[in-house]
Amino acid sequence: MTYDTVVIGAGVAGLTAALRLADEGKRVLVTAKGVGSTHLAPATIDVLGFDPGPVARPAEALPAFTAANPEHPYARLQPGLIAASVEWFKERLPAIGYQGGMEENFLLPTAVGAVKPSALVPETMAAGDLRAGGQCVFVGLGLKDFYPAYLAENLAEARLDGHAVSARAIEVSLPLAGRPDRSSAGFARLLEERSVRDALVRELTPKLEQDERVGFPAVLGLARAGEVWRELEARLARPVFEVATLPPSLSGIRLYNAMSSALREAGGRMHVGEPVVRAETSGGRVEAVITQPTARATAYRADSFVLATGGFASGGLQVDSYGEVSESVFDLPLVDTPPPGGSRFLPDYFAEHPLNRVGVAVDDRLRPMTADGRPVYQNLHASGATVAGACPWHEASGNGLSLATGYAAAAAILEGAS
Amino acid sequence: MASLQTEALVIGGGSTGAGVARDAAMRGLRTVLVERKDLADGTTGRFHGLLHSGGRYAVKDPDAAKECIAENVILRQTASDCIEDTGGLFVCTPWDDPAFGDEFVAGCRATGVPVEEIRAAEALRREPRLHPDTSRAFTVPDAAIDAWKLVWGCARSAEEHGARILLYHRVLELERDGRKVTGALVHNELTGEELRIHADVVINAAGAWAGQIAELAGCRVNVLPGKGIMIAMNHRLVNTVVNRCKMPADGDIIVPIRTVCVVGTTDTRVADPDELEVTQSEIGEMLDEGEKLVPGFREARALRVWAGARPLFSLEEVSDTREVTRSHALLDHRERDGVEGLVTITGGKTTTFRLMAEVAVDAACEQLGVDRSSRTAEEPLPGSDDGRFYFLGSRLRAREPVPQTDEIICECELITRERLEEAMRRRGTANLDDIRRTVRLGMGPCQGGFCTYRATGILHAVERLDHRAANASLISFLQERWKGVHPILYGDQARQAWLDDWIFQGLLGVQHLPT
Repeated sequence: MTYDTVVIGAGVAGLTAALRLADEGKRVLVTAKGVGSTHLAPATIDVLGFDPGPVARPAEALPAFTAANPEHPYARLQPGLIAASVEWFKERLPAIGYQGGMEENFLLPTAVGAVKPSALVPETMAAGDLRAGGQCVFVGLGLKDFYPAYLAENLAEARLDGHAVSARAIEVSLPLAGRPDRSSAGFARLLEERSVRDALVRELTPKLEQDERVGFPAVLGLARAGEVWRELEARLARPVFEVATLPPSLSGIRLYNAMSSALREAGGRMHVGEPVVRAETSGGRVEAVITQPTARATAYRADSFVLATGGFASGGLQVDSYGEVSESVFDLPLVDTPPPGGSRFLPDYFAEHPLNRVGVAVDDRLRPMTADGRPVYQNLHASGATVAGACPWHEASGNGLSLATGYAAAAAILEGAS
Repeated sequence: MASLQTEALVIGGGSTGAGVARDAAMRGLRTVLVERKDLADGTTGRFHGLLHSGGRYAVKDPDAAKECIAENVILRQTASDCIEDTGGLFVCTPWDDPAFGDEFVAGCRATGVPVEEIRAAEALRREPRLHPDTSRAFTVPDAAIDAWKLVWGCARSAEEHGARILLYHRVLELERDGRKVTGALVHNELTGEELRIHADVVINAAGAWAGQIAELAGCRVNVLPGKGIMIAMNHRLVNTVVNRCKMPADGDIIVPIRTVCVVGTTDTRVADPDELEVTQSEIGEMLDEGEKLVPGFREARALRVWAGARPLFSLEEVSDTREVTRSHALLDHRERDGVEGLVTITGGKTTTFRLMAEVAVDAACEQLGVDRSSRTAEEPLPGSDDGRFYFLGSRLRAREPVPQTDEIICECELITRERLEEAMRRRGTANLDDIRRTVRLGMGPCQGGFCTYRATGILHAVERLDHRAANASLISFLQERWKGVHPILYGDQARQAWLDDWIFQGLLGVQHLPT
């Protein structure tokens, strides 16, 4: 089977590259071992949240950040590309209703009541913005992955540019009798039932105070999420927002669903559950990638390939019991690896560990490079957490990196073709 | 300053100390136990979980072997709920001399350890992951023992007999009246208060720390802390305790316990039992040795590594702690040093803790002029009355018949919200690591990735902690888990750790919380 581009990996990076290319009329296949980290992470697009203090204006902060971190993936990207990717994403996925942009970060409460800067936030989370302070009430639904009293106490101590946040917690009990499934996915399904929402509104309304914004764990529906959220805003007559909590991430699953259906509508194909087991290469090019979901192997040929298998968390990078680090599909050369015999992790949990920034080094067309700076394959591009040089959760840059590098990989492919 | 009066003061909350407190209280002595940290925080909570048959010492240390098999038989009767009857195998791998097997059998026979040679093919049928070129195999009654259950069982029983257990109480001084020890000054590590305990007799059961305690009374006790490292694997690669059939050496045993199996161990003399560093070369050696018993060992998922300090007692200085006997040592300081009112019990194994407790309390009774004998060899621990062994599916079997609507807070260890809250109330602690030792919170494959946030939220509510105290509990638990994870992070466990990092530092941002 022949495609213009085969993308390996179905996370934000892979789906972004695939969708960009499909939108330009390219024949695209996404093949992936499974769904990506969308199902673990909230759908916010964090571009740059900490450096190391909180970043208020990412667009303004980025030039200094890339100058100070020349090995960071952002430093590989053309000026303006990150902003372009963010704007495109916001427009392209109307179902998520993204708010914000590169000018100024939202400040959203986390489930422990810390404050996290994000550039783009789904409409269901936007009213949680703490930049102007205000009064919030956090509602526990009896979900084991959300502790609103603990959240509220921490948040009440946050001082945000002098704006105080007042926060309190309420527990309501949904009609859960006889329902053993109490994961966030179970709650999301439950809240799509009209009778459950009726019970919730009935119990909650008398407990709310004037001018309070109402925060729920991010379980306000799955397929009908926007609808559930809008209805609650209308019936509670107050701004309503979701707070991201432990995996599975409902907001991330909504993002995955929105991106994969947009891709299919644009003519792209997706094979999830079909990992690439090896590649055929010749003359400095990748000719095909081979999958073997069942007994029979299948070769997918294409003009170009995007590697978006993620980092250590997703299995795109791996470390063995001897401490050897490798890239899983093409065995690409890696940089930022700790020296042989050197420690891979430090005793302080919160330290930046020697293995944190390991990945493939890329050129300015995001092609993995050899040690002497030449592309390993002319037509292989890398994106997302496979790329070396970032420390996503220290920087609060996770989905931003995936989006920008996925977008850039597609741009490089389109440019090369034209 | 507050003070209290007792007959017996026990120092140390490991298996020995808890056993001593129980034995003393059962003999009707007014008893107080002090422990500087939590119960089983020291060596007892840091071993592989082997209930020795004695086979391991049959050739090299026959006295220890005899003690082990005698106690093995008794504990199977009296602590059955703490024991999984896995059975044990000694196998000759291609690296071991098959002729040693004859010496091994002779040693077992001479020390009374039941032993039977089975065909190598039969051993492989029972344990298919063993090395296919295993040449000989012998069965012995080794088993797995849950040290936390054991110690808590002893402590509960001691309390039922009137003993007081004071955790997080560190001994600062032993009080003296001339040549007699009359009690101790202890420091409450949580409140900072001091407490004077007047005692007729002090029993030093501080294990690897016994030398430090004895020194407070001016007595010299040569306890050599022997460091042993252990690695817990995510699966039970074997369901029987498997030993190499050779002289005891490093990395020659795998113990299946609960949902994991543990490979051990090393033996290195260290200066300070509180400073136990695990090196990469020790880990490498354990994995290579594991590979000899179970090929593919390095491909399996390693959860955690830790080190414990054996309390090895020696009359003289030695350089190699492997050569020191595993038998216990009872030191009556009245006879030995002319210091009355102090007995030290050290050396030994968790397997022989009950015997150690018995002889220590015998010596204490003699000093007190009391003539009552131990009943611990007959009377079962609470929970072990029916004589039934623990088995892997116990928890599931107890819950399975009724559809469950309970929330599972720690999925790895099947801990329900109700059980966790009950443990929090009972322990009354803000320390999640104390809760871990009570219900195994965060000890499974995700190493606290999912349950830590939940348990913190619940602790915040149940203990009415303020948010800063809750944050401190959360962060110290993460650090504590990381301690055993980071030296051995590879393969799928590294993936897991990245997910956990993402949860705490990406999603929750706990590093930005005020503490």
